[in-house]
Amino acid sequence: MKEDVAKDVTTGATTLPAPRAAAKDASAEPLLVVDKLVKHFPIKGGFPVRRTVGAVQAVDGIDLTVHVGESFGLVGESGCGKSTTGRLITRLLEPTGGTISYRGRDISHASRKELAPVRSEIQMIFQDPYSSLNPRQTVGKIISAPMEINGIDPSGGREKRVRELLEIVGLNPEHFNRFPHEFSGGQRQRIGVARALASEPKLIVADEPVSALDVSIQAQVVNLLQKVQRELGIAFLFIAHDLAVVRHFSQRVAVMYLGKVIEVGDRGSIYTRPRHPYTHALLSAVPEVELEESGKVRRERIRLAGDVPSPISPPSGCRFRTRCWKAQDKCAQEEPPLVRLSGNREGHLTACHFPEDPTTEARDEDIVLDPALAALEEAAEDQ
Amino acid sequence: MTSPIETEDGAEPVVAHGGRAAATKPEGEQLVGRSPGQLMWARFKRDRSGVVSAYVVGFYFLIGLAAPLISKLYGKNPYTVYADERPELFDSAGVPLQPNGGISGEFWFGLEPGNGYDVFTKLIYGIRTSLMISVAVTVTVVLTGILLGVTAGYVGRRADFVISRVIDFLLAFPSQLFFIASMPVVVSLFVSPRDETPTYVRVVALIVVQWFLGWMSLARILRGTSLSLREREFIEAAKVSGASPWRIIRKEVLPNVVTPLLVQTTYLLPNFVTIEAGLSFLGVGIVEPTPDWGQMFSKASTELVLQNDITYMFFPGVSMIIFVVAFNLLGDSVRDAFDPKTAR
Repeated sequence: MKEDVAKDVTTGATTLPAPRAAAKDASAEPLLVVDKLVKHFPIKGGFPVRRTVGAVQAVDGIDLTVHVGESFGLVGESGCGKSTTGRLITRLLEPTGGTISYRGRDISHASRKELAPVRSEIQMIFQDPYSSLNPRQTVGKIISAPMEINGIDPSGGREKRVRELLEIVGLNPEHFNRFPHEFSGGQRQRIGVARALASEPKLIVADEPVSALDVSIQAQVVNLLQKVQRELGIAFLFIAHDLAVVRHFSQRVAVMYLGKVIEVGDRGSIYTRPRHPYTHALLSAVPEVELEESGKVRRERIRLAGDVPSPISPPSGCRFRTRCWKAQDKCAQEEPPLVRLSGNREGHLTACHFPEDPTTEARDEDIVLDPALAALEEAAEDQ
Repeated sequence: MTSPIETEDGAEPVVAHGGRAAATKPEGEQLVGRSPGQLMWARFKRDRSGVVSAYVVGFYFLIGLAAPLISKLYGKNPYTVYADERPELFDSAGVPLQPNGGISGEFWFGLEPGNGYDVFTKLIYGIRTSLMISVAVTVTVVLTGILLGVTAGYVGRRADFVISRVIDFLLAFPSQLFFIASMPVVVSLFVSPRDETPTYVRVVALIVVQWFLGWMSLARILRGTSLSLREREFIEAAKVSGASPWRIIRKEVLPNVVTPLLVQTTYLLPNFVTIEAGLSFLGVGIVEPTPDWGQMFSKASTELVLQNDITYMFFPGVSMIIFVVAFNLLGDSVRDAFDPKTAR
């Protein structure tokens, strides 16, 4: 497996082999298993003695499984704990509870030394290409740093490997002596990808890798990531708030709301047969160019009101109930478990007491919960 | 100082293939980017006042370094008591007979009343002493500032709390008074007050006292810089790769604090020169017969009162004003060169 990947990479971008089937075979044993992962950030207060007065429940018991070579998408609103999850998996943060196992090995509380063998296999791509590259290092130094730290000595030397990586990510290999400030945002993000690839990882956590880029550049970078994922067989945990990008990129998708996974499933299930009301609302919020196309099914229209509740004191029971149009007493008392509902495909799990129909077609009546928007629309109709 | 030319030069994104940069370069030459340091140097070289100040400052350091050589060529040394050697040059009160403090072809800057030291050699040796002490203070302050500032900023938590409170505490000290009051105390730690104090003890005491109350501002700035660097994603990228904290500080943090460090240092050094001169002026720094810049003022001010003669004040005064102004202008230029976006 390892040799395979190494070979793929060293042969260079010019002669990349056909999409690898091997990755699928190995999927029996999952690459990454996240079990009941919890991260609470304590809030300190008080004078003169500072004590913990509360906690931001950023991630509150989530389960994820990422298989070898698979691209797993994690979507949700801002502040729902997506990035925290990514940082927990790369162990930039230490979890408050739960376990993270990488290839059957518990890394949830491993020290830096204990993590050393795993470090080269889990890499990260960051959101902001302007802050993720050290302005005082040349591109060559930036990309070769992971090799240096992990003691990887590719045949032909690190410099040769850096040139190959630059070529793989679509940059001029001659640019390895340049500094980050001499590149544009998209090019910088490519450098970030090259750095993540340098230690030949098995899993890359991409934390909103394209949301800081121009829309015209986003597609290029997403396509680059897709190429890397397919050709090198690297598993991706793709964190994003852009549903279209995730749909394009990920085979399986999890939807997060306020520190919990509320629905997870394969791409088709999530995007065309969603069950959780929040997933419906999220999909319906994606702006769409309305073309007067005959035969095209009108999408349902759901407009939520208000903001995500504070993660310091999340609602009891189902966390979405405060904004849900189907909420009943049961939702406040009992937290819905993440289970496979009848009619769902294998692996499609939903956490809801009163799930919606598995369709995104327009309903008889739009659900507009925002009073301001409702008033506006009423006024427009009256005219 | 933000002309469009500078930005064009500084932050021009390079097109991946070809582009202007590649087109202007001859075939086969390797593409080498310009580091932030090189860009800073290029900007600095265009700043005329900065370059002139740098030459002036360099000239002073050269004089300080070459003082023994200059005095050898000149044929005198600052310790010769000309009142005894050449009594014919002085009147009965010990004041040079010739006008303007005895300026002549032989004694270029005149002679000092009293012991009759040669002012020229005294001045160049005085510059040497003052700069030596100030450079030593600056070096210790910079090392302390880096150590404590970066520790507080990068390690954070408890270390940050303790170091920051110490900084607050020391900043609240009345420094001027502390310097004057503590100098004799520090000296007496080394030598009994009854014995004669060797010069090196006074030098060490001056360095220690100025260092003690000199490092906080730099440490605080470096703390802020490393605090903000710690949150940058390239530090996280290094952590994800498994870099040790020491490697992160060395390779990721330190190169990025060089800018504020250099700027602050160029402001600190002239400040230490004036503090040292002030202490020697007040008589708690370097004392006769060791030549010192500040101490010359003290002698000159007495003469100014007694003789109504400004000559003795002229040479040390003008030289110090030029030095401090040039160094501060240099500091401004260094800051502009590093950070062309900051408005004055």
